[in-house]
Amino acid sequence: MAIPLKYNLRNLAVRKVSTGMTVLVVGLVVAVFLFVLALWQGVERTLSVTASTRNVLAMRVGAQAEMQSVVTRDQSEMIQALPGIERNSRGEPMASPELLILINLLRADGKTTNVLVRGLAPVGLEMRPVRMTEGRMFNAGTNEVVVSRNLGHRFASMKIGDAIKTGAYRWVVVGYFDAAGSAYESEIWTDVKDLQAQSKRPILSSVFVRTPDSASAQRFIQTIAGDQRLKLEGKTEKKYYEEQMVTGAPLKVLAILVGVFTAVGAAFGAMNTMYAQVSARTREIGTLRAIGFTKGAVLSSFLLEGALLCLIGGVLGTLVAFVAFNLILTRPTGTMNFRTFSEVLFNFRLTPPLVAAGMVFSLGMGLFGGFFPAWRAARLKIVTALREV
Amino acid sequence: MKFFHLVWRNVFRKKLRTILTTGSIVLVLVLIVVLVSLLQAMEADPSGGKGSNRLVVQHATGLGNFLTLSQRQRIEQIPGIAALTPEVWFGGVYKDDRPENFFGQLSCDPEIFFKVFDDATIDPKIEKTFRENRNSFVAGQKLAEKFQWKPGQHIILKGTYIPITLDLVYAGSYRAGDESSIFFSNEVLNQSKWAGANKFTGIYYLKVGNREDIPRVVTAIDKMFENSDAPTKTMTEKQFQLQFMEMMGNVKGLIRIISLVILFAVTLIVANTVAMSARERVTEIAVMRTLGYRRSHILSFILSESVVMALLGGVLGVLLAKYFFIPGMVKGMETSPMAPFLLNFKVTIPTLAAAFGVSVGVGVLAGFVPAIRSSQVRIVDGLRQVV
Repeated sequence: MAIPLKYNLRNLAVRKVSTGMTVLVVGLVVAVFLFVLALWQGVERTLSVTASTRNVLAMRVGAQAEMQSVVTRDQSEMIQALPGIERNSRGEPMASPELLILINLLRADGKTTNVLVRGLAPVGLEMRPVRMTEGRMFNAGTNEVVVSRNLGHRFASMKIGDAIKTGAYRWVVVGYFDAAGSAYESEIWTDVKDLQAQSKRPILSSVFVRTPDSASAQRFIQTIAGDQRLKLEGKTEKKYYEEQMVTGAPLKVLAILVGVFTAVGAAFGAMNTMYAQVSARTREIGTLRAIGFTKGAVLSSFLLEGALLCLIGGVLGTLVAFVAFNLILTRPTGTMNFRTFSEVLFNFRLTPPLVAAGMVFSLGMGLFGGFFPAWRAARLKIVTALREV
Repeated sequence: MKFFHLVWRNVFRKKLRTILTTGSIVLVLVLIVVLVSLLQAMEADPSGGKGSNRLVVQHATGLGNFLTLSQRQRIEQIPGIAALTPEVWFGGVYKDDRPENFFGQLSCDPEIFFKVFDDATIDPKIEKTFRENRNSFVAGQKLAEKFQWKPGQHIILKGTYIPITLDLVYAGSYRAGDESSIFFSNEVLNQSKWAGANKFTGIYYLKVGNREDIPRVVTAIDKMFENSDAPTKTMTEKQFQLQFMEMMGNVKGLIRIISLVILFAVTLIVANTVAMSARERVTEIAVMRTLGYRRSHILSFILSESVVMALLGGVLGVLLAKYFFIPGMVKGMETSPMAPFLLNFKVTIPTLAAAFGVSVGVGVLAGFVPAIRSSQVRIVDGLRQVV
């Protein structure tokens, strides 16, 4: 028969200070762990949320980012004439020749950072999950741009109606768009021909193509590779953004590093608490054994108590993280995307798998921290334990 | 000091408990040393202040745009400039596309480069090879060690935004604060099929003879090209590096918050241990009081126990961080995406000293409350209490 759970709960409750401190330690450790993981998840989500396997990006062979690629107008026209491109309601091929340039702008916090300016063809707007939330879409031929609301707040002069000036570039912001939290929300969008004219670059960076499904996307990629005149290569939108996830990789390493060290440290703390409990309750343990509870029952009871102690901490830490992400850290934060050399904005993301990871993490600390003290408790000799003061 | 023996014995009264507490201090300190050193590797001025009379000229709209090579002559005419070299960031792929094989690849004018980058030391023979053989390159010593390049060895760099493939020959290494990049001759690019050959450069890297001239030179350059096709932005080397740091976003703040929270957590762990051990000794403390020890004695005993434990953790933590964990971790991460950050990763004495100081602080903070509480217990209550 097992020792009732109530025994453990009351024991935890009766030594408030010690329990409270251990719970707090575990809670803090779990919160820090979730904090770093949520950052990493945020980056991964931004780079994967709308990326589709049926959209293909044609770029120069070897280019790792659109900005590094050069596609001539001839090449772009050849791509648009290839078979296998989906057509929109007006019967036009869904292929958008695009130009990207990288500019350095002043953020609202007084620091500067690199931003991508994307020039798109009208059909490029249809191919992306974009809707205007405020203001209106840019008109071609007027040097108007649209940005995401997040970008509007992050930069010094990017609110609707503001003029963006850098070098010889002059743009006017006319609207905020929403792109489902994807990496597009870190870009400034304008008409491709306007951008070509302003940047004095009569070239393109990439051609963005929609195909009917992912199988035909793969065929389209092979068609590009097989065309000797083109000297371009195709990638699905999904793969292109997956390759950018190296940006989040250091965060993952950081999470593991911080996680392992703090978890072992906190488990040591929990172990101390549990050892102190075992020695304080030696007589009790002797009594429990004397009235018939087995060694196994004592072992599992103390193990359970250690696990409970840390799980409460885990819940507390998750709550802290939840409150912090939803009330305090609601503004997106940014980091450098190593591939595009520009800033990518993202939000902290506390996903259900992360919450589960936090719980498993705290449970692990509890089991590790509780095992040795429980083992000691189980092996106490009944006679000597009862004789203890 | 005469009570030190008593404190020491009390610290080791429960050996396992002390080992565990010290262990958690050690782990946290190691982590803090790693995090702080990472921050320093990312933000510190690698030249250690020696680059204060160097300037970088980039395109006004950012590094994504090229300057023109025709600007070189005009800039060189500005009085006060001691040496100037155009540089192009090549950004090619070495071996494969994995982040651990990423390093800085810059072209320069081999005749002038080490006159500008004058805090680097290089064997004159290697520099001679570098100047005379067009396809040779020099590398920071740490980077060269990482890839085990031997003089005469060829490396292939597949271009990303410059669509050419380079075949370079390793000449030798240089030593400097930043050893994470390689340098090769501009002529490699100028004689290639690259569309920008003999036309464009990424930046100009220059040295001003006299530090007082810097503001004048900066204004002169930027004014000169203000209304041209390639307007410039001139800044000191430090400002130039700072812009990368700023782009990394809130990493600095993030690491600082993490460090503070885990320090607080470890303080709680130590405080809990000290409080547990003090609570178990209430009767004993009361007996000591009856023997004539004062409240202040008890206070300082408990506080000293906490500090001694923290000191032990501090010494062990700093030593283990420096000689065990960090070398191990750097080795273990050689093939991880963190690898490019680790080349400039150094654990400095001030960092270790600071970590040690922090551990003392943890000991004092953690011991304070339990020490006061123990010293406040009335003798009668203490004697009456059954533990």
